[in-house]
Amino acid sequence: MESRLLILNSDPVFEDRVLAMFDAMRKVETCIVRTLSEAIYILMRENFDLFVVEGEAAVAIGQATNTRQHFPSLEVMCLTQKTNDALLREEATLQNIGLASTDCSDRQLRGRLRRIVSAFERKTGTPAEGIDPCHSLVGNLNQFSAAEILQMSCMSQRSGRFTFKSSRGNSEIYLHHGMVRHATYSSLEGEDAVAEIFRWRQGRFYFEEGIISQVQTVNRPWTHLLIDNLQKLDETMHLTSVAGIR
Amino acid sequence: MRDTSLETQIRLLTLQVENWKKLHDFITYALDKSKPIISADQERHFTEIRGLLLQETEHVFSQANLIAELSGKAMNVLQRASSIRGVRDLPAEETRRLESDWNAVFTKIGVIQGQLKIRRKALLSQNFLTLSLARLFGRKAA
Repeated sequence: MESRLLILNSDPVFEDRVLAMFDAMRKVETCIVRTLSEAIYILMRENFDLFVVEGEAAVAIGQATNTRQHFPSLEVMCLTQKTNDALLREEATLQNIGLASTDCSDRQLRGRLRRIVSAFERKTGTPAEGIDPCHSLVGNLNQFSAAEILQMSCMSQRSGRFTFKSSRGNSEIYLHHGMVRHATYSSLEGEDAVAEIFRWRQGRFYFEEGIISQVQTVNRPWTHLLIDNLQKLDETMHLTSVAGIR
Repeated sequence: MRDTSLETQIRLLTLQVENWKKLHDFITYALDKSKPIISADQERHFTEIRGLLLQETEHVFSQANLIAELSGKAMNVLQRASSIRGVRDLPAEETRRLESDWNAVFTKIGVIQGQLKIRRKALLSQNFLTLSLARLFGRKAA
C-alpha cells in the first residue's frame, strides 16, 4: 500500500531536492502545498500518513507546531537545515514533531528520507465495515457531522457507544445519560480524542444502545466540550479561509 | 520502473496547473456580473499567485519543452491580469483575449500532463529487464 505524504514547501519549483527524492520512491504518493493554510484545508478533507514541513528551521517548526494544535494525532516531520537552537529542538520534541537535517550529501539524504517513509508507512488498512443494520443509529459523516449527532444524542439523554469508522481509523465515544463519558481514537483518549473526531468529514458511524464504559476519561459537561471544540474548529477553518477564494 | 525526470516534469506541471486554476478563480471572480466586493486580502492573494507564475512559468515550460509554444501566451495573460480590479476594468475585447490565452495555456499544459501520466503508467508496468530488452531490440519502451 502507498504511503501518502503531504509536503509543505514554500518554493517547490526551485527548492526541490527533497521532492525529487520523494518522486523517485516507489509506493509513495505526495501532495505538495505552498502555504500552511492550503495544508490545513487539505488535512481537513483528506487523510495522510505523514505531514512533512520543509524550510528554514524556525519557520518550519513554527508551522509544524501550528498544525499540531489543530491535528493532535497527525504524524509531523520537519526537514530543515541543521539548527543549533536548543529552544527550537525542545519545542519540536515537546510537540512530538520529528526533526531531520537536510545538510548532507544526496546519498545520505536519500537514505534518511527512505527511513522516515518506512517508519511512517501506513499501519492501518481500510477499516472493516462491520455495520450491523440492527444498530439504533447508522449514518454517514458527509451528511451529519460528529458534533451534530452527538448533540442530538446528548439532548435525548442516551447511553451507549458511538463507533466512527473512516480512512483515518476507528474511534469510539461512550455516552452515559447524555454525557460523554469516555472517548478513544488510536493512542488518544478523552477530550483529545473527541477533538479529533470533531474534525472528521468523511466516514461512517453507528450507535449501540446500552454499552457503557467503565472507564471515564471525559469529565466536563457536553456543552463545554461542544463550545470548545466548535471554537477550535472555527480557528482551523479560519486558517483555511485565508487562502483566498475557495 | 520510475523515471525521475518524468516524475519531475509531472510534478512541475501539476504545480503549474494548480496556479493557473487559482488565477482563473480570481479572473472569474473579477468578471462576475454581480460585481462582488474585492477585498485587499484577495488582491494580495492574486498578486502572490501572479508572482509565482511569473517566477516559475519559464522554468516549468522549458523543462516540458513548451517554451516556444506557450511562453508568449502566458506572458500576455500575466501582463493583462495586473490585479483583480484591473481585470474587472478591462474592455470586452481584452477580456476575450485574456480568457482565450488562459484557455490555450491551460489546455496545452493539461494535455501534456495527461501524456506524461500515460508514459508513467506504461513505465510502472515495466521492469528493468523488459525495458532493457525493448531497448536492445530497438522497440520503443513506452
